[in-house]
This record gives sequence, C-alpha cells and structure tokens, in this order.
Amino acid sequence: MPVGNDQRPRHLIAVAQSVAQEDIADLIASGAIWKNPEEVSFRYAPGQTPEDFSSQRRFSVCMMPQQIGRDWLGALTRLNCDTFVECFPEMGLGDLAPLTGRKSLPKLDLLVCLSTRSAYHLPVARKFVTSLRHRGLIGDAIAPSVEMAVQEAFANSLVHGNLELDTGGHLSMDRFKELGDETERRLASSTHGTRAIILTARRRKNGQVLITINDQGTGFTPPDEKATLDITRKDSTFGRGLPLIRSICQSVTFQRGGRTIELTFDDEQGVLIAPEAAYIANIEHRLTASREAGLRIPQNAKILIADDTMLSREIIASYLRADGFSNLVFAKDGEDALAQVKAHNPDLIILDIIMPKLDGYSVCKALRADPTYAKTPIIAQTALEENEGRTRIFDDGATDLILKPLNKAELIARTKIHLENRLLVQQLQAYQERTQSELELARNMQENLNPAAEHYRGVGHDYGMRISATFQMSSELGGDMWGLVPIDAHRLGVYIVDFAGHGLGAALNTFRLHSLIWSEQLHDQMPGEYLEVLNRHLKGLLPVGQYATMLYGIVDRQKNVFSYASAACTAPLLGNSITGDARYLDGSGVPLGVIRDARYETREVPFNKDSFLLLYSDALIETTLDDGQFLSEERLLSMLQDTVLEGGADIDLAAQIADQFMDRAPAKLGDDFTIVSLQSAQIPAALSGQPDQET
Amino acid sequence: MNYKTEIADGTTTVEVTGRFTFGDHSSFRKLIEEVRGHDSSTLVLNIAGVDFIDSAGLGMLLLARDEGEKTNTTVVLRGAQGQVKRMLEVARFDTLFKLED
Repeated sequence: MPVGNDQRPRHLIAVAQSVAQEDIADLIASGAIWKNPEEVSFRYAPGQTPEDFSSQRRFSVCMMPQQIGRDWLGALTRLNCDTFVECFPEMGLGDLAPLTGRKSLPKLDLLVCLSTRSAYHLPVARKFVTSLRHRGLIGDAIAPSVEMAVQEAFANSLVHGNLELDTGGHLSMDRFKELGDETERRLASSTHGTRAIILTARRRKNGQVLITINDQGTGFTPPDEKATLDITRKDSTFGRGLPLIRSICQSVTFQRGGRTIELTFDDEQGVLIAPEAAYIANIEHRLTASREAGLRIPQNAKILIADDTMLSREIIASYLRADGFSNLVFAKDGEDALAQVKAHNPDLIILDIIMPKLDGYSVCKALRADPTYAKTPIIAQTALEENEGRTRIFDDGATDLILKPLNKAELIARTKIHLENRLLVQQLQAYQERTQSELELARNMQENLNPAAEHYRGVGHDYGMRISATFQMSSELGGDMWGLVPIDAHRLGVYIVDFAGHGLGAALNTFRLHSLIWSEQLHDQMPGEYLEVLNRHLKGLLPVGQYATMLYGIVDRQKNVFSYASAACTAPLLGNSITGDARYLDGSGVPLGVIRDARYETREVPFNKDSFLLLYSDALIETTLDDGQFLSEERLLSMLQDTVLEGGADIDLAAQIADQFMDRAPAKLGDDFTIVSLQSAQIPAALSGQPDQET
Repeated sequence: MNYKTEIADGTTTVEVTGRFTFGDHSSFRKLIEEVRGHDSSTLVLNIAGVDFIDSAGLGMLLLARDEGEKTNTTVVLRGAQGQVKRMLEVARFDTLFKLED
C-alpha cells in the first residue's frame, strides 16, 4: 500500500472482532465489495458487538461475523453505515458483485448481504424495515405494510430461491415434516446454505422507495398476475405470498430470471421529507451566496432582467436604477437567461414570456426543476391578457406576474415585496440553522455525559460483569443520564437519572447533576444517605417544579449483594441469567429536588454469579408501540425471559431489549431512552486477552 | 416463536408469543406433537402475544386445523391483535376457525 500521498478514496470499515483479518482481506481482494479494491484504501475499526461503534463515526461497510445472531443484525439500526455484509468464507456473489460503488447503478441507501444459513433464522425483514424507518426512508405509518411485503418476498427468495424447496401440492402434516427436515438439511449443506441473499433499498427523487431482494437460486417464474388473494388455497404453504405482496406494493417486478424481486412503495410521508431536505441544502447554498452579496437591504439585491428587446431591458433597468437598484444582470433570450442565472445566482428574476430560443414558460420550468433555484422569486412580464397564459406561467413556477406596458411604481413595489420575502425567509432559515447547530452541540455534550462503550465494557470486566447500555436521545434535548462509579476493588456504583420534561432546561439540569455527582466524593456511603445528600444540594439548585428521578446502587461482588436507593426511579429488574426469570424491585421514593429533607431507604437484594440487573428510563414502558399500547410489565418480563433463553449468557441484554424496542417504537422518540444491563459473567479469556485494536 | 401449553377440563390452551413466520416450522411441529398427546376436545391457540405472522404462519395454522379435524378437536384462535388480526381478516380465517377476542 503506498504511503504518504495516498489519493485513493479512504474507507473506514466496521469489523466484528471475531472475524479473522485474512477473511476480510480475502473478501475484499475477491472484488465482492469494490470491483477494483486496489483503487481504494481501508482502515478497520473492530468491535465486539455493534454497541462498540460510535454513532458519530461514518463507516463505508460493516463486516458482520459468520452465522450472525440478533446482536449483529441490530447493527442495521445502530451503525452509521449503509452496507452490511456477513463475512462467510464460502460466499460467491457471481453477478451480484460488487456490492458497492457500481457507477452504472444509482447509489443505494441500504444494502444487507447475508448467508441463507444465517438469514433463515433471523427476523431480517423486521430489522430491515426498522432500519429504513430510522433512516427516514419510510414513515412509521407504512412500515407495517412494507414489513409484510418484504417478509413474503424474503421468504420466497430464501425458500424457493436459495433453498430450492418445492412447497407445491397438498400440504399434509407428513409432507410438512418432510419439508421441515429437508429445510434443515439444505441449510446445513454447502450448496444451498451458503448462497447469499441480498436486500437493498433506495429512495428515488420522487419519494418512492425501491426495495430489492436478490437470491442465488435457479430462478422463478412468477405465476399469473391475476391470481387472487386466496390464502386458503391448500396446495402450498409458502406460495401464497405473492398475491399478498401485490396487494400491498405500488408495483412488483422480477429481474435476473426471477432471482431478483423489486418492490416499489409510495410513501406520502416520504415525499414530504425529500424536497424538504433538498430545500434546506439549497437554502444553505444560497445563504452563503447572498452573504457574499451582502443582501441586507433590498437595493443590494442582484436582479436579472431577461427580455429579448433591448429597449424593454433598458426601460426596466432605468426604473430599477432610479430606485437604487444597481446590481443588475441582463439576458437577451431564454437560453441566455438560464446561463446568466447559473453564472450570477440572482436574488430576483424579471422574466419576459415571449422570447426566442427558449420561452419564459420553459425558463421557469427549468429553474424550478433545479433545487438551487427552486425558490428564487420570478416576476413574469407579459402583454398577454388572456387567462390561459397567466395560469400557465404560474403553473410553470412564476412567483408573480406583471403586465406590459410596465407601470414603474408597480414594478418597484412588486420587486421590493418579493425581495423582502426572500430576505425574511433567509433570515429565518439562518436563525433556525444557528439554533439547530447550537442544539446539536448541546446534544453531543449531553451524550458525552454517559460512559462510552469501551469505558463501561472495561469497567464491567474489572468487576466480572458484562455491561451493556443503549442511549437514544429524543427528538429534542432530553434529561436522561447514567454512569458507573468504581468505589474499590469489589464494589461498583451505578446510577441512572431522568429529569422531568425535556428540552434545554432538562439538559441543563443533567449537566448540573453530573457535576454534583462527580464533585461529591461520597460514593462510599450507603446509597440512601448518598441520595439524601444529593437531594439537599439539588433542592438548592433547582427552581421549584423541576425534579429528577434517580437510582443509585452498589454492586458488591464480595458480599454478593446489590444495595440501592431510589428516588421514584422506574422499578429495576433483577433476574437470573440461566432461567431468564426476573422480578421488579421496589423503585419507590421521593423524586430529587422536591423536598429538602427527603429520606431514602437503602434496599438490599442478593446479586450472585447468575444475576443480572436491568435499569431503564420510563421511555421503555411509556412509549406507544406499534400495537398502540405501552410495553406492559408482564410483556417486558416475557421479552426478557425469551431473550435470555434464546441468547444464553453470552448476550448484551440491554442492547437486545433496546433492539426489540426500536423495532416497535416510532422512529422519533418523544423522550430520552436509556437502558443499562449489568450481567454477572465469567468473561472468556479470549475476550479479556484481546489487545485494543482500535485504529 | 415461543409457546406454553396448559390443560384444563378437556381444553388445551397454547399461549403463542413472538413472531410466527416461515422459520418456525420446527417449534410448530413440536407444538402439534405435544398437543396431540393431550386428547383434548378443544385446542385454544392464544395468539394475543404474537406480534407478526406471515403467510407461512397462516399455513401452519391451517395445518393445525387439519390435525384437529382428524381427531375431532375444535381449533380456536384467540386474541389476535394488530398485524395478525389484519392477516386473519385478509385470509378470511373467520370462515375456517372459531375466532375469539
């Protein structure tokens, strides 16, 4: 690899720590990812689980381990990355390679490449759709329909495509058993089980979302389009999906001889988002442009006068100059007008309709089609009095219309009004942008109050625990915070805080409390006493009506107890890592900052080698999920148990619960979401001996 | 997909939770075999805790019904919600099963 002046595009690749470096090198060298790997340069960032990758870093590709589990599937929503590849040695992509950077194809917003073996047992469609929601590609409202269609198409590609299972004919219980056994055999086989399945998504400029599912089977001839939605047909278990897909999608097409299915969705909400983003980008562009021009007072505005007769241009110019507008640019026909707009980016255009080469209608249309000029005021001037021309010019995008022969006062008045509007909009945008960037800064600061993954993993390791955490800020600033406080060799303190409300006030309070927690060297105290001290300080600092809920606890590895005190915190969960059974602990207590002399009881529960603890903010149990309900106490318990039983001790509990929550919660949360798990663990030597490879 | 079974007064109640999709054939097979030994006259599948079902899942419900017919067991689907309820409606399962809220 050439050193020094490397001009090649640089890529940061997120890599699962368990994947061997040679396997990644081989995969890249095979051209499966980039067609000409020698033309790009790479850096690797390893992580034990997706939790370890910072959301503030951008990755070109995420290399997931072979036989991925639910944890790595969660990377689809967690990582700032749009290409996810399971790294399995038998992968042969054939005509599906390379996965990224194909110049002939439009850029994809998301690509996931998995082995059939892994994909078969994972809720891929669900996670794919959650990821689309979180990326703003589809709205929450159409997500359930998209998931249904993706699920059916995905099942078809896996079962009929890659596994080549024939599910036709009458399905009896015996036949069903046979099919099940055959499925297991084929999944284990090196021909069928190692075929790749690739899901992609991309949003078109018109807001439509295109999803493709690609397999490596022998191809599939789609049945008659007119097949009705008769799910009760008895001839097949799996073949009923297609009519269902057709009933949900805008359109369904097959390519690659039936080995690629393409689904199109039209999302009303999506359409709204797309032009908005373009508009903001456009405003940014124009703000810089106009700042240079110094558009503080209308008279400094740059005005383009497009008219084919010189006399008309001069008349308009003289009217404008007489009123102080001297920054004028001219165009003598339609084509010239477009060229001048591109060269000068005027603040306002006075446009004649009847012109040679390109008429005013076409100029309007062309300008409006370009996001950079979509909002530039255009005053059309015309001698046409008939309604048709007037309607048409507005349809094509003119802002206003002025009749020839021109009246000087009218021309000046209209020019000023449109310039002022433009100025106001720009100022408002500039203000919003500034506030936005300041909020962004505050968000980053608040996020940094919480421990980073490498920190809490390391601390957990020191105390023989596996610690996992997920923090997602609400759409505004929020008031959640958590942290770890090492006390001595066998005692570790942990706290979780939620300030009432959200927004700037709550965020400021978290900063206050954070400095209090870290300035008071009192963690050695009983948790109850500690909260009492903290409460007195906080009561002095907080205005009336503001308060926080908090839990502070100490895990004592020697005495095998967890002692804690709670100020109205959500009830912590204490469970068993082997059975998955868990119970709610008492979270009652007066919130912090309400009364000066609040008392807090220190409670003690056993915490031994099989225990786990789950702490969470109320967003977990007070967010309306896709079924229109909150996550109930019983539901959370059964979710925990299922997760523990399926994953065993070797999982990040908080991350797994968070992933399942995100699948069902709105993409934009109304409140901060924090979840932390502390699992007693025998850390395998392989992990503890791992040197830090972060580059 | 996970399930728990319970027998009382000749009725087997199976509480099914999670996602019920094409990949769940082995759990479903186990379920059917377990229930077959009960000799109950009614099999209640409580699917209130199922949050997603695909067409293969529907197919498996139909298999359960076929099995029931063989042994004179009535199969009841109880508590379908959200997407599951929608799928049952689309597939007109009300004509094939006894549906309960």
